[in-house]
Amino acid sequence: MEIVKLEGVVKTFGPVRAVDGLSLAVRQGEIMGFLGANGAGKTTTIKMLLGFFRPEQGRVEVLGGDPCEPATRSKIGFMPETAYYYPYLNVRELLAFYGGLCGMDKGAVERRSEALIPRVGLSAAGKRPLRTYSKGMLQRAGIAQALLHDPDLLILDEPFTGLDPLARIQLRDIIIDLRRQGKTVFFSSHELSEAELICDRVAILKQGGLVSCGSVRELAGDGGQNLERIFLKVLGVDAQGGGQA
Amino acid sequence: MKPLARQILALSRLAVLDLYRRKDIVVVFVLGGVILTPLFFFTPFGMSGASRYTNELALLLVWLFSAVIGLGVSARLFPTEFESRTIYPLLSKPVSRGTVLAGKYLGALAAALSALAVFYAAYGVLAGVRQGVWFPLILWQAFILHTAFMIVVTALGLLGSLALTASANLTLCGLLTVGMLVFGQRLPSLAAAQPVPGKWVLYALHWIAPHLEFFDLRQRLVHEWPPVGWGVCGAVWLYALCYAAACLALAALIFRRKKF
Repeated sequence: MEIVKLEGVVKTFGPVRAVDGLSLAVRQGEIMGFLGANGAGKTTTIKMLLGFFRPEQGRVEVLGGDPCEPATRSKIGFMPETAYYYPYLNVRELLAFYGGLCGMDKGAVERRSEALIPRVGLSAAGKRPLRTYSKGMLQRAGIAQALLHDPDLLILDEPFTGLDPLARIQLRDIIIDLRRQGKTVFFSSHELSEAELICDRVAILKQGGLVSCGSVRELAGDGGQNLERIFLKVLGVDAQGGGQA
Repeated sequence: MKPLARQILALSRLAVLDLYRRKDIVVVFVLGGVILTPLFFFTPFGMSGASRYTNELALLLVWLFSAVIGLGVSARLFPTEFESRTIYPLLSKPVSRGTVLAGKYLGALAAALSALAVFYAAYGVLAGVRQGVWFPLILWQAFILHTAFMIVVTALGLLGSLALTASANLTLCGLLTVGMLVFGQRLPSLAAAQPVPGKWVLYALHWIAPHLEFFDLRQRLVHEWPPVGWGVCGAVWLYALCYAAACLALAALIFRRKKF
């Protein structure tokens, strides 16, 4: 079953074609890495998957519905690249706020918070206001809010940015555990080593268009290259000099 | 409780927490206390009966502080969400943009009205101690019409917060509020005395800008005039509701079309 379906999606901002005829499908229960250089169109695609705006051309379908509809988004969890959240709240209050937005009752939010706060490693900082959190701790709070309503699809924008090695391992374990539960994870990243470790498939984007999609093994072919080499090759960049090949 | 009510409650609670935990309100309350209390024990020009001067000053401060709080809360409702990027996780939840707008507006209004209630309670107590008249009917009417003022001012601040930065919005709405309170009643006569382009601008302002002077019962309260008719109060409240609804409808249109 296809959880995310993009068909010929085009999105422009003035003269810039941020997403240019993108077609992509993400299957249920898989972890897909969404890779590309800065300005490749990753975040714009994610925003369309979340229904922040519609494409000018093409079709976006998430969990069989239109992401612009709140009912579709009730099954999506999202963690943005960098959010500073509300500095005057602590993580429990933050989860209570997002739980309220998801329509969850107080008891359900408390039960989920009890489970999620230790899972993301914030037990010791649970009562501290978020303004005292480091960037990595805010990322952890972001993961907790994304998982709060037990979504079927988790969309993460650069989730490994700012995390220390321990937090990276914890996040990796959370993502793998979600796959085990049959959830689908779609994340954009510049961390190719992390993507290589956990992704079932990766999609590589260049100037708004899909240039490659498949498992790392499929993309490596007979050469047995790692994801970094594949990435550079697909984007047409010279590995030694860093320039366009 | 239904999910929609939970969503609105969550958004409203956030706006109230924003006001009370950011400490700005503490500054206003302390400042209000520091200014109001000595005012009521001060005898102007050595005349023990000249309480109307102190009352007038105290009410002016109540109006000033309430406008600062109402605009201060509503003017930054959306700019802070945009700047800190919390708008993304917020809109990724199963909540419609209309609900976000309604929740934030009600929260800002609740926060502003709670501060207003404290100011009026303080004024009522201090005036009672000094004059021996405790919470007369005209004070209740002044409070009721002041809440209508807050309904309009908060809606105006929220509308501006979707299009302007917090400081620009605060400045514009502040100028409009003070301008309409001072000159609102005189706009038609001022317009009639102007040459053509200025005349049109003032007439346009007369029809478009909120007539905040409708909500001001300070003179009646200070001079101990009789209360206004409840029909008039109702009509003024209806005007406030219609004006706020128009602001919110325009805000909904802007928010619906806004790309993040």
